[in-house]
Amino acid sequence: MLTMKNINKVFKTDLVETHALRDFNLSVQEGEFVAVTGPSGSGKTTFLNIAGLLEGFTHGDYFLDGVNISNLNDNKAAAIRNEKIGFIFQGFNLIPDLNLAENVEVPLRYRGFSAKERQRRVKEALEKVGLGARMKHLPSQLSGGQQQRVAIARALAGEPRFLLADEPTGNLDSLMARQVMELLEAINKAGTTIIMVTHDPELARRAQRNIQIVDGQVCDFTLYQGGQNHQVDTMEQAAS
Amino acid sequence: MLNIKPIVSSLLRSKSGPILLLMQIILSVAIVANASFIINERLTMMQRDSGIAEQEILTFAIYNFDPSIDATLQNKVDQRILRSLPNVKAAASTNMLPLSGSGWSTTLNLGPDPETAKSTPQVAMYMGTEHTLETFGVTLVEGRNFYADEITDDVNSPNILLLITKALADEVWPNESAVGKTLWAGRDVQVTVIGVVDKMQGAWVDSSDLEYSIIQNVDYSGNSYMVRAEPKHHEALQQQILDALMTENPNRVIDNFQSIAVVKENSYRDHELMVTVLSMMVVLLLLITSLGLTGMVMFNIQRRTKQIGTRRALGATKGDILSLFLTENYIICIVGGLIGGVLAVLLGQQLMQHYDLPQLNLIYPVLTVVGMLLVTTVAVILPARKAANISPAMATRSV
Amino acid sequence: MFLYYVDLAWRSIKKTPILSLLMVLAISVGIGITITTLNVYNMMAFNPAGERAEQLNTVQLWSQGPDSWADYHSQVTYQDVMNLRKGKVANEQAAMFRSGMAVQTDDPQILPSLNGVRVTDSGFFNLFEVPFIYGNSWDKSVDEQAAFQAVIGKKLNQKLFGGENSVGKTIYLNRKPYQVVGVIDDWHPQPKYYDPTSGAFSKAEQIYIPFSLTASEEFSVWGNMSGWKYERLDDYQDRLGSEKVWIQYWVDLPTAEDRQSYKRYLSQYVEQQKELGRFTDGKSPEESAQLSNVDAWLERNHVVPEDNKILLGLSVLFLSVCLVNILGLMLTKFLKRAPEVGVRRAIGASRSQIFSQYMVEVGVIGLFGGLLGLAWAWGALYGLSARFGVAEGLTHLSLSMWVITPAIAVGTAMLAGLYPAWVVCRTKPSVYLKSQ
Repeated sequence: MLTMKNINKVFKTDLVETHALRDFNLSVQEGEFVAVTGPSGSGKTTFLNIAGLLEGFTHGDYFLDGVNISNLNDNKAAAIRNEKIGFIFQGFNLIPDLNLAENVEVPLRYRGFSAKERQRRVKEALEKVGLGARMKHLPSQLSGGQQQRVAIARALAGEPRFLLADEPTGNLDSLMARQVMELLEAINKAGTTIIMVTHDPELARRAQRNIQIVDGQVCDFTLYQGGQNHQVDTMEQAAS
Repeated sequence: MLNIKPIVSSLLRSKSGPILLLMQIILSVAIVANASFIINERLTMMQRDSGIAEQEILTFAIYNFDPSIDATLQNKVDQRILRSLPNVKAAASTNMLPLSGSGWSTTLNLGPDPETAKSTPQVAMYMGTEHTLETFGVTLVEGRNFYADEITDDVNSPNILLLITKALADEVWPNESAVGKTLWAGRDVQVTVIGVVDKMQGAWVDSSDLEYSIIQNVDYSGNSYMVRAEPKHHEALQQQILDALMTENPNRVIDNFQSIAVVKENSYRDHELMVTVLSMMVVLLLLITSLGLTGMVMFNIQRRTKQIGTRRALGATKGDILSLFLTENYIICIVGGLIGGVLAVLLGQQLMQHYDLPQLNLIYPVLTVVGMLLVTTVAVILPARKAANISPAMATRSV
Repeated sequence: MFLYYVDLAWRSIKKTPILSLLMVLAISVGIGITITTLNVYNMMAFNPAGERAEQLNTVQLWSQGPDSWADYHSQVTYQDVMNLRKGKVANEQAAMFRSGMAVQTDDPQILPSLNGVRVTDSGFFNLFEVPFIYGNSWDKSVDEQAAFQAVIGKKLNQKLFGGENSVGKTIYLNRKPYQVVGVIDDWHPQPKYYDPTSGAFSKAEQIYIPFSLTASEEFSVWGNMSGWKYERLDDYQDRLGSEKVWIQYWVDLPTAEDRQSYKRYLSQYVEQQKELGRFTDGKSPEESAQLSNVDAWLERNHVVPEDNKILLGLSVLFLSVCLVNILGLMLTKFLKRAPEVGVRRAIGASRSQIFSQYMVEVGVIGLFGGLLGLAWAWGALYGLSARFGVAEGLTHLSLSMWVITPAIAVGTAMLAGLYPAWVVCRTKPSVYLKSQ
């Protein structure tokens, strides 16, 4: 479903060239739950930005659903973000002036859905995350975990092909983190592909598949069959 | 702390904010300098002394519509009646009202041949009697007034005598006495100067020839009259004049009672309007610029809260923080003032070229920049005091 | 989508009320000043002749001798007018000057009053499309065979005859009986273009009488009379035969050919006069006569004073200061909201959608500023007219301003918003998505 081939991303300043990603290769299958780990500065965020079409890359190819989406112009990239990708951020990034329903509605607005369709989807998405009764609340009136659930509802409302989650539980206490994680797993079970960036090995272990990025390259990947993998643990330690 | 170099380089790095402020100051200086120059020019113009007892002269118009009236005779009777009224210091007929914007003007020649002779500037041509000087309240500085028996009723009389203003005398005969000199109106008409008055403006306040006036010894039976009396008597006098003159002859319209002060105000009204609108502009402009400055400084403080906290943690005093912001904005203000001053001069040149305005005096851009510095100080100190109160602990907090 | 943007704009304005108020104030003050001066300027620069502006022309003649006036005078001599009137070359023509007389009727209750009077030809009413309520102009024959007839205005008719049809009744001007032949409606072209020399913004006269009476009745001239040389004038007949200029002369020349042929006619006339020893300045006959259409005529008579042009220019500069000011404020405000933009971009808003959203916000602020500015302008005009007694016609806020003002305000605001909106829509979304 998602394939990256030999992606390179170079940041240039007057003095130095930094390779954030070098010959980065990755393929994600439909319905997978992929955890991306790696030490800070390894290129996790760059990967996320490129996968989410928030940034371009220097060279390489990026296929989504078999279509090459390298070097799209801004409008096309925005449309793909809107239709195919759902974002979940560590800081939730809800718009503080909008109530929950309006926050969830934002991507639907840009998609150009009718008012009726928007209403239906907002309701469905918020009910899915268990906040159907709080549509008129403002984000500031909610706990962190609830806010993150709203953000998930916002990501789901557009029925994306995959979710990109960036440290989704990083700002939450452990109880809330577990609830959010369970929600993500349920969503994955329902068929949505999820790519999650995290530095928490505990969380990563819960994914079907782990990918580690070190120095801008995919260092190793292992298919999990629900169990644990020691090899990844050692790699983790080696890297840190 | 007052190290200007790092402040300049940080200003140069943060592009749009300071540039916008700079543009605003440049434009403001250009506008304010020219506007205040025009304001001052008009105010000076309005404050000129007319030489005439503006407040005391009550004027009015008589319109005789009965064809059988002997206008010459009626005029004499009317003036006699006016002089007999209580509180009247003096009264005279006239062909025109000073400072009124309408009247008679002419040029006279210094020799008999109009083709070759030099001519005087355009002069306002009053016609009056031996009572006119006293009615105007002007002072004779040389020569004499008309005698009663010299007054004629005929505009084309061959025996025209002139009282002229000192400004005209000095212009035409710079280093000699004007009294006794002769001027020509056309080839055959000679007029003689018999006296010089200190100051007596003409009718057109916008004319550069305003100070050049003459009085001829003609008792003009047109329709304008001037009565001199203390302003407090004017109201009562108005009724007394109406009663007395209408009793004398009812076949006429008597109206337009107003003092020369009012006439003058009307003539300068457009200038007063200009001064008012321009003053409004200057005040609002300064207000807007200072609001813009305040807003920008507030924004900067918010953006640099952490930086300010760090500076404080590193030992900067409150005064240091204050002077940091002041220095920063003074630099913008002075640079803007310099460019704005140049722009002001250019704008002034354009105005001078296209319109009837004198050249911009350089003191105005300079004063405007000084004013801007004052405005800057106030507009910066208020928000910057808040910045100075930022706690050094901000440095360690991650916001 | 537009309504969504309006809704977002309104939320954003409500969220930062002080900053928004500052922006609205800044625009409104700039707009207020600009509209005040623009309104006065527009009123002054208005051409009331409309589509007839080209075909209505005044005649100027270079009748002055050498070394006198350096330009055409707006007005012409009586003798020239009488000669040109005889030619009847133009479609319609009218000579005119302003006079004044005491008005009475047979009703002794009505006190005599002094009124401005326009002495003119029957063509006046056609030339300037004067609307009649009762009767009509005097007959064309009266322009040659003088008769004591008059056209009066609605207001005077109200005062003298209680507003009824007064055609056939008698009024007395300086005690002479004139028969009323027509009553015109309230008609006050602003500027008073047919004769701006006696107050470009004063009201039209209430009495019109035949020009053909001038020679016999010796009407006084309530206007400008100028001469380029000394002439001894002992009586009114001397004045009529003199070189003094004091009459405005209008002709109606519908087509360009008409104007061409009239110019030829004028040249021929000047040539004739040169043979009679007039027009001595040595200019060719073609260069000694000109036609001024309404625009040129208004310009020639300085109907728009210089001060107003200066004020208009300065207020446009003033508006640009306001523009820069709000540009700064908006930049401040928009950049503060960059994180929100980052989120919107991430979940699928394109740059143009973000740009539109912010332009709509700017437009809404501009609209508020425009409305408030209109109120300022209205107040300023009201205050100025109360304080300075400026002609009513000039301080009335014209209807078009209700459209022009918001348009200028929104336009200015959008111009100022262009850069901030561009900056904010260009921000990299990824920068603002990490929680810092």
